[in-house]
Amino acid sequence: MESLVISKEKSPELINTIIKSYRLFAPTEEKGFSGFNIITDNSEIDLSYLNSRMPPKAILFNQTETLFLMEPGAKGTIKPKEIRKDKTAIFAIRPCDAKGFSILDPVFLGNYVDPLYKANRDNSVLIGLSCNQPDSSCFCTSFGDSPASGKYVDILFTDIEENYLVEVMTEKGKAFVNDFSRFFSPASPKQIEAKEAKEKEAIKLIKRNLKIEGIEEKMDKMFNHPIWEEYAKKCIGCGTCTYLCPTCHCFDMQDESTLEKGARVRVWDACMFPEYTMHTSGHNPRPARMHRVRNRFYHKFSYFPKNSDVIACTGCGRCIRYCPVNIDIIELMNRVSEMVL
Amino acid sequence: MVDQKKLVEVAKETLARKDVKYIIGYKKGSYGFQTSAAFAYTPKDVEQFIFTPLCNKNLAKYPLKEEKLPLKRGEEEDKRKIGIVVKGCDSRAITQIIQENGMNREEVVLLGIPCPGVINQKEIEKRFPNQSEITEINEINDEYVFTIEGKEHKIPKQELLAEVCKTCDYPNPVLYDVMIGEEVEVNPKEEYEGIKELEEASLEDRWEYWEEQFQSCIRCYACREACPLCYCSTCMADLLEPQWIRRSVNLSENTAWNIMRAFHLAGRCINCGACENACPMDIPLMELNKKLGKEVKEMFEYTPGLDIDAKPLLGSFNPDDPEEFIK
Repeated sequence: MESLVISKEKSPELINTIIKSYRLFAPTEEKGFSGFNIITDNSEIDLSYLNSRMPPKAILFNQTETLFLMEPGAKGTIKPKEIRKDKTAIFAIRPCDAKGFSILDPVFLGNYVDPLYKANRDNSVLIGLSCNQPDSSCFCTSFGDSPASGKYVDILFTDIEENYLVEVMTEKGKAFVNDFSRFFSPASPKQIEAKEAKEKEAIKLIKRNLKIEGIEEKMDKMFNHPIWEEYAKKCIGCGTCTYLCPTCHCFDMQDESTLEKGARVRVWDACMFPEYTMHTSGHNPRPARMHRVRNRFYHKFSYFPKNSDVIACTGCGRCIRYCPVNIDIIELMNRVSEMVL
Repeated sequence: MVDQKKLVEVAKETLARKDVKYIIGYKKGSYGFQTSAAFAYTPKDVEQFIFTPLCNKNLAKYPLKEEKLPLKRGEEEDKRKIGIVVKGCDSRAITQIIQENGMNREEVVLLGIPCPGVINQKEIEKRFPNQSEITEINEINDEYVFTIEGKEHKIPKQELLAEVCKTCDYPNPVLYDVMIGEEVEVNPKEEYEGIKELEEASLEDRWEYWEEQFQSCIRCYACREACPLCYCSTCMADLLEPQWIRRSVNLSENTAWNIMRAFHLAGRCINCGACENACPMDIPLMELNKKLGKEVKEMFEYTPGLDIDAKPLLGSFNPDDPEEFIK
């Protein structure tokens, strides 16, 4: 790993240079909250954000994705969708959201490779920005991660007052930095220490902890426990938690057409909707909200780790912050953790 | 302030009734300024009940959310009543649902709370963004008083009061079985003040404004699920044959959804603000609801959710309607 620095005075010029050859996504202010958008000038970036409202997963795994175009009818035709080839950079992605992609990878790049996701992933450089100010619902440290972790990004920026410390984490990151090498200079040991100090401070600000030890084994014995019904009672069954989650990845396929033209589209779906598991026969294997709420937590903390060796939660805290009925994943999972069976 | 001891006492008495299954009230939330719905089956559960200025969720939706799974052989349906703690707006929601035959009066027991107004959740979380500790708020002399890390904060009520509460004409429950405490004073307010600016804007500006709002919609349907009046067994938005609204999330389909949602609440919305509170993308849905509410009031002199025996607006005909729109 190479450590470099760039001064805050120079960073706008770097951004404006990147824009010339990359599709650059960065956090901007959207009607009072933050979102990742394609920017055309550094001045559009707003770094005063805690995190974006929508996770940047939507950049590589779009909420609505056209799979192919078609002309319906007896002489109908199918036109495959061109796969995106342009180089993309995501600037100031938080470490938790970058980890989200590492959790989507086994799904979309595992046994069956999704060509659209693969192209998006391969063509993207993730430029992280450490959280110096995590908020009250953040809990990435529960999973052994840190608000200043470079583990899941190609390059990690950390705000160390006048400068950003720039840690180059991967080969892709190295190639990227080399292309813009004139902006960076080697970091001094003092600057590296400054980052470590920032990281320690940030970790201290994280007050909540989800106890994951032994949780998978615990859940093996809790499928019929009344706690799921207790939480399902107050769940209203909307899709907020899943749509704002950086790791939720379920989708639906739809053919949307008029008489002349149409397309097959892939749109995000949510396991909290009854229709999600509805069979054409009319049978629904998860007929009650309890089944759906339980499934959401089992998928994250039991099924996914069994299949892919990682808990499908990064501790970004969005589902806690935006749940309209205060279903709190930390509160619930800690009760599971502490339960004596 | 609502007397919480009295609330717990009344809830215990109600729960002791043979014909009551459980009571839905509020309890402390899991962090910060949150509160949560509480489902009390035992007197011990009832002891968690609170009513504070943070009890801003509408509980009227929950009886309709109860899932009736197929009965096992020999099993009988539990037809006991559900108790609910209701503020003025919640009681109007229940009234409206009963009026529409969505529920029978006998199915619920209402514990009425004369509501002094509740706090705008999004506003307080914006002003104190890093509050993880569970924080209790008291209303004292038109100020909200609470302590964060040893420091006492006193904020004028109007600064944090939910928008819908600022213009609420029915803070006292319009339908109840037991009332907890004395009725609060009602000050008539200019109900449609908040939408004036939007009404005066040009068509182009309004369209641009709503385009920006609807563009950000992620179609999670939190607005629908939180709304006590959105209780159709199959929502039009979920239908596949015919598919009125496509699943693609884009401006066109999002606009269709949001307009349809607002239209289906015309003459039915009781101004609780639950949709707007629930929206994770901060779309000002109450502006649409208020505008439609205003039109309904002006055209038909009708206010929903006041009388269980009244006819719903769209199910009634009154030869004395002003009818100024037909010319």
